Amino acid sequence: MRKKIIKSTAAVLALSAIAAGIPGLASAQDGKKFKVFLSLSYSGNAWQSEAANIVKALAQTAPYDEMVELREVISGTDPQAQISAYESMIDEGADAIISFPISSTALNRTIKRGCDEGVLFFMYDATVTESCAYNVSYLSSGFGENSAQALVNALEGNGKIFLSRGVPGNSVDQRHTDGALHIFNQYPGIEVVAEYYSYWDDRTTQQETAKALTANPDVDGIWAQAGEYGAIQALLDAGDRLVPMTGENSAGFRLALADPDMQAKGLTGVSAGSPPAQSGYAFKLAMEILTGQRELEPMNIEYPLPWVPADAVKVCEGDVYEDGCNVFPPEMVPSSFVSEVLNTDLLPEVNVESALNGTPVPGATIQPLPAEVTEAANLPGINCGSCEAPENLYELTKVEATVQP
Amino acid sequence: MKSTSKSSSQEHNLAQTGDTRVSAKISRETISTLSVAILCLVLLFSARLINPALGSWSQIETVLVLGFFLVVLSFGQGLVILTGGLDLSLPATITLGGILATNWIGAGNPDEWYLLPAVLAVCGLVGLASAIGVIWLRVPPFIMTMATSIIVASALLGYTRGTPRGTAPDMAVALMKGDILGVPAPIVVLIIFVIVGWLFQSRSVYGRYLYAIGTNIEAARNAAVPVTAMRILPYVLSAICAGFVGIALVGYSSGATLRMGDDYLLPSIASVVIGGSLILGGRGTFLGSVGGALLLTILGTIIATLGLEFGFRTIIEGSIILIALLLLREELFQKLRSLKS
Repeated sequence: MRKKIIKSTAAVLALSAIAAGIPGLASAQDGKKFKVFLSLSYSGNAWQSEAANIVKALAQTAPYDEMVELREVISGTDPQAQISAYESMIDEGADAIISFPISSTALNRTIKRGCDEGVLFFMYDATVTESCAYNVSYLSSGFGENSAQALVNALEGNGKIFLSRGVPGNSVDQRHTDGALHIFNQYPGIEVVAEYYSYWDDRTTQQETAKALTANPDVDGIWAQAGEYGAIQALLDAGDRLVPMTGENSAGFRLALADPDMQAKGLTGVSAGSPPAQSGYAFKLAMEILTGQRELEPMNIEYPLPWVPADAVKVCEGDVYEDGCNVFPPEMVPSSFVSEVLNTDLLPEVNVESALNGTPVPGATIQPLPAEVTEAANLPGINCGSCEAPENLYELTKVEATVQP
Repeated sequence: MKSTSKSSSQEHNLAQTGDTRVSAKISRETISTLSVAILCLVLLFSARLINPALGSWSQIETVLVLGFFLVVLSFGQGLVILTGGLDLSLPATITLGGILATNWIGAGNPDEWYLLPAVLAVCGLVGLASAIGVIWLRVPPFIMTMATSIIVASALLGYTRGTPRGTAPDMAVALMKGDILGVPAPIVVLIIFVIVGWLFQSRSVYGRYLYAIGTNIEAARNAAVPVTAMRILPYVLSAICAGFVGIALVGYSSGATLRMGDDYLLPSIASVVIGGSLILGGRGTFLGSVGGALLLTILGTIIATLGLEFGFRTIIEGSIILIALLLLREELFQKLRSLKS
């Protein structure tokens, strides 16, 4: 196993106090609130909004509502804008900065300056190579290789496939694709007949898949990153035939996987990929450190890879994930809703309304996180600067090869 | 004295250019429209050499459905460019149309079809706001439409709180996924749209007014063209077209997102220019823009199947667009014509 479990000391001790909602810990005592900043990239896609909404909802949940002053700053897609945002947060005396970093390297100098002044930096989903920041991410959890193997298994080792990728030049897209190709290249029966960039967007995926289908109407499978629901729609537009495919966590995709009509047309596969819930986990970790309930040195923390095969999809009846359900029905959320925004173990305080609107659940109180955190594997240039990737980088963790090359 | 000489020389100029214009313009614009159309066909059929699955009816169908959005947008953008403006508010207005359609109507409410015109009307108001800024406040069109775009996009971000909800109205789904006598509905609607757009721009008095304004606004005013109304009209029509595209996109992909219009701004301008329009206004036909839009879409589908690295793909795409523009330059046609005569 490449994962290493680290036990953080004294984590559980004072948590019961928090859980009971007793104010009076740390600086909340003298009426001064912790200054926590939420620094976003672009707000305007479902993923980014949900991630931000979860943090906002948690910050308004007792007892954090009495303890923390949360301020949100959106920096677009320009690293320079985020650098100046960080600079002013540091100057305003931030206690912690929870952030989706726009670049894995460009922010390093500013982060280092902030660390020296005692600011906690918690990055979620995307990561930085500066070692004084905490990275909370699923990137090391092997989305690419696991989903690729699942697709190979479904195709029994033979077939023409499409790769629907993310954003060109992006290190996350590269990591996913490298992992996937590591698997696909082992199978001579698997032929990648089209590879296109879909910018992690449903509509772009649909249009790019439609284009690829004109030249390859006989495709056998699709390996997709976010935007996967668009690939299903493109297949349906082109004919009445679906194929095995893997994709990320949109409600549209999960509902399709569970739909008997879609299954009859040939759809099967796995929903995995980037969870917006990472932001909430990062925020709660930062708060536990600030309030003295957890001691943890800066490190790369792995968020577990969501993994929902077609036969495990279950539609929820309420507004939280309970009894093993893992997708909300279409009347509650749009098809682009990213399902992995709630987490029963890590974020039991919030519900679907929190994800959509940033509102806290009435009467909920913050629950302590599990004491253990999982250390992430090194990903050079992604979560560490001068480091080496482990030899078992592409080891499968969620699925086993049922067909041999 | 000075002013009379100026106006008389202007009249003289007009008379002079006016004389050659009638014969020159018609043939020039017909030629450039035909060239784009021929280029489309050549690309479409030479694509068979790359991949035997291309050039088939199903590829043409895909091109027409994917090109639908761009053709509709290029009509509005073309009118704005014709009068010497530029509409940068298309992406935000597309998103506005899509989000209002999903929020106000949504699936399962076929009896609320009357809200679709209401959605288009709201989009038209956005165009009106741009026009007011351009005409009365004298803000350059580039800046004014960019400002409307930012305001509308931000308002939508606030309205949806980042997550657009709702589902596609049945009408929109029928528009993009339905069949009319065995032909996909979007293709039928596209053909009707192109005919109506062409009649409006090239055969109606309003179209003539727009050409007059784009060529010389003072001359148009002197010729009793209702200049103010006719300068407002293109912005409003462009915004309505964008709203319509928003509704169609929602039908195509069953939902709205806040970035759904982002990919269409530059292609909409490129379609118009490739179609032989002058970016400074006064010249161009809708049929040319239709050809430009289809050319871009065909190019996209062919290049997507080349299996090249992404960088090379975009280089090839850019190069072909550049070559098309150079080939369609009017100097070339003038030279050809002078050779003939």
